[in-house]
Amino acid sequence: MDPSVAVLILLITLIIAALAVYLIATILELRKITAGLDVVLGGVGEIVTKSAPVNGVLDAINGNLVAGRDLLENLLLKKAGNDSAGLVESVFPGEGANFLRRVGKSGKVINVGVVYTRGVGILASLGRGAPIGAAHAKGPAVRDPQYSTTAAAMLYPRPGGARARPKSPVVGSGYGPKGGPEAYQPASTPGVRPGREPDDGGGAPEPSGRIEVREPEAAPSGGGEAAPAPGRLNIKGTPFWERAGAPAAPSQPAAPPEPEAPPEPEAPPEPEAPPAAEAPPAAEAPAAPAEEAPAAPGKLNVRGSRPWETGGGGSAPAEPTERAPAPAEDDAPAKPGKLNVRGSRPWER
Amino acid sequence: MEFVWIMNLVLILVIPVLVFLLKGVLGAAKSIPPTIDAIAGVAQAASRDLDAVVILLTTQNYISQIVGSVANYGGSLNVALPDY
Repeated sequence: MDPSVAVLILLITLIIAALAVYLIATILELRKITAGLDVVLGGVGEIVTKSAPVNGVLDAINGNLVAGRDLLENLLLKKAGNDSAGLVESVFPGEGANFLRRVGKSGKVINVGVVYTRGVGILASLGRGAPIGAAHAKGPAVRDPQYSTTAAAMLYPRPGGARARPKSPVVGSGYGPKGGPEAYQPASTPGVRPGREPDDGGGAPEPSGRIEVREPEAAPSGGGEAAPAPGRLNIKGTPFWERAGAPAAPSQPAAPPEPEAPPEPEAPPEPEAPPAAEAPPAAEAPAAPAEEAPAAPGKLNVRGSRPWETGGGGSAPAEPTERAPAPAEDDAPAKPGKLNVRGSRPWER
Repeated sequence: MEFVWIMNLVLILVIPVLVFLLKGVLGAAKSIPPTIDAIAGVAQAASRDLDAVVILLTTQNYISQIVGSVANYGGSLNVALPDY
């Protein structure tokens, strides 16, 4: 045999052997793959079986949610109007345009949460009559985020501009007969306040503006005004040692005021009998004994009733002359819970 | 005779190439089963997870009730709040 042929046969044999080895190994691996895919296929089948009804359920859920969303969006559109997209934008950024598209409208979405603070938006939605609720529909933002107070103040017209504030009150102006109770005018004489008219009333004397030194009054001889104790002010407001008529010896113990010296509490004015000139005629006077009798419990007699209620037929108000001198029984103390003539107030009697 | 020697030379050059290609095919085939095993595990886990799909029916019922409540609430708001 030729050696070249023998080498050829050997090489061909090696090639066939290599093909057999590798192809057989590949076939075995492919069998493993097939077995594995069978396992996977079972799991996938379970997945398909279990997820089959999901589509219907999710479609039903989505249908319900869409119905609820449409309901709320339509309600928002009905109640908020042009602000509805801005409200949606403030809560869900980016959804304002989608909201407009869903409701079939178009326009620029103004984020209400940026234009207003939360409280202002709520107030504006509640009170549509307020300028802040009416001016923001179109045009620039009503509220300036940096100068919010000025922006809010500009909504309300105010003389002097938006930053104008009420001026501080001026003392002596604004009320009173001449514009104020104390209109301080320039004084020509130091210490004299011009422009003051004497008061006609019986009240306290008008201060003159000058320091007046009053002569001390002579102490009554009866000792009604006892000298005050040292270190105290008497009723005149001046220490007794500065008064001309005061006892000159402070070393002497001041006589204690007599028991009767302190003024007694002023007794209620006795019902004075009206003058004779004011006395009514006897014919016009009502039956005094009957009217002046003690009132029945729970009722007021003529003395206790108001003058305009004591008219006989109610035609004319009662005359003050009806207040005749009270009989002796009127002076008797009233029984508890009852009012007699004495028990009524002096100004009603 | 020279022709035979030339064929021998060609076969000697072809054998390594053939072995390289067959080895590549075998390597690729061996790499597939582990991946399939992993997929099988994931599929079984997904199948177990889908056992909760039945609860979607309960969720559907709840959502129907909630939407009904929201509708009633919207009706109340429609009466309570003034229109724009």
